[in-house]
Amino acid sequence: MGFMGIIRRVKVDVHQHLWPEALIAALTWRREPPLLRRCGQSWVLRLRDEPECAFDQREHDPDARLDLLERDGVDRALLAISSPLGIEALPRTEAEPLLDAHNNGLIELGGRFGVWGAVSLCPPVAADVDALLDAGAVGISLPAGALSGPAGLDRCCDLLERLEARDAPLFVHPGPGPSRSQAYVELDAPTWWPAMTRYVADMNAAWHAFVALGRPRHPRLRVVFALLAGGAPLHAERLGARGGPREAVVDCGLFYDTSSYGVRTIDAVVRCVGIDQLIYGSDRPVADPPPTSLLGPAAREAMVAVNVARLLHGEAPAVAA
Amino acid sequence: MIDLCRGRDLARHELRELVADIAARPQEWRHLVHHDPAVRTYEQLLRDEHVAVWLICWMDDHDTGFHDHDVSCGALAVARGAVVEERLALGGPPARRRLRAGQALDFAASDIHRVAHGGGGPAITINAYSPPLWRMGAYETTPTGELQRHSISYAEELRPLSLAVL
Repeated sequence: MGFMGIIRRVKVDVHQHLWPEALIAALTWRREPPLLRRCGQSWVLRLRDEPECAFDQREHDPDARLDLLERDGVDRALLAISSPLGIEALPRTEAEPLLDAHNNGLIELGGRFGVWGAVSLCPPVAADVDALLDAGAVGISLPAGALSGPAGLDRCCDLLERLEARDAPLFVHPGPGPSRSQAYVELDAPTWWPAMTRYVADMNAAWHAFVALGRPRHPRLRVVFALLAGGAPLHAERLGARGGPREAVVDCGLFYDTSSYGVRTIDAVVRCVGIDQLIYGSDRPVADPPPTSLLGPAAREAMVAVNVARLLHGEAPAVAA
Repeated sequence: MIDLCRGRDLARHELRELVADIAARPQEWRHLVHHDPAVRTYEQLLRDEHVAVWLICWMDDHDTGFHDHDVSCGALAVARGAVVEERLALGGPPARRRLRAGQALDFAASDIHRVAHGGGGPAITINAYSPPLWRMGAYETTPTGELQRHSISYAEELRPLSLAVL
């Protein structure tokens, strides 16, 4: 005898960070940023471009993270490299041991963890994309700073072409690209300063660059932008007023993760792009996310399950809704 | 293909013309038709900055309940079968009309209505909203007779939780 129930779809958080032990160890051995240095009984993270901040290895314990998945009501988390570290933009010989520690350590975790593969940008090599996808990565992540203009898109063109050819998605996350001219360090700034200024600006620039220059070259590439692309879709009217492609807000291959935003901003972006383009991303352990149900149960199901399936596998929206 | 490209929000009469036109061209959407006895099914046919068009499949006792569309006006055309629309009226029964295939109606953002399957075989409607639906009001009568409006995301109406016989 049957009964009515909810179809059970896999619920996914597409935006988390977890540093494998090998990556943490490799960062403690470095003498130039990015590095971890001991400060009394604790550790401090030093980056080229940001104020120093405390580092707590307990936040990167896989078992503890599984408990948080339960608390957040998701089945699976996709782990990305912390691109603000700037690893992808280091010279390839410096970057590779760190990238290997990240990619291999997370792919080995398996189970309820999926991986956004991280690649060197000096230079970008399409074969790196193949190797990571073949090893089990769900897609590739790139720092927004690597895609924030025509030169960056040219430089990353082979990577994006290969992703598109493999029908795998791209995750754009705040972080520097290889062409930064000088370090941006505000030593006296509060620790949240970069997240509210450069991260937002870089994501905004990466979205505008992609819709203007990337989309014509990569018509089938599916992309998820962290932190609602820095709010870029909210500027569509201004984009149109200045002669840009304001129709970019109706691109069903562009997705927006909700990391660090709450109901007001998420709902504002829904108004611009529709619920089908929003995706749940928590940014754990950097942020403690709000409940996934903040827009209601149907919006939650769209953001944690249905839309994620479309991002990862290109599945059409469910007809039986 | 169906082309919107008007670059502005549409008026009610334009939406009505649009849905009537699309309803009369089943070759554009026939492959998306899917009826489910448990729930209405929805497929978004088009969306741009100014208009969203949906295909909705109805059966049996499917009923939206009384609702409004917040800032969007809209229109509905019946492509197959029949639906019934009721407009909420205080102090009296709702104004009721039955629409069959080939008929259409439009509504303002401020109208409060409900739409239900009109009986007989499965029904198909083409619905359009301008600007695209964002938030909606869902109405409920409390046990003491008070009318309450709940503000909901449009996802609750057009992307509801999937139901299935398990």
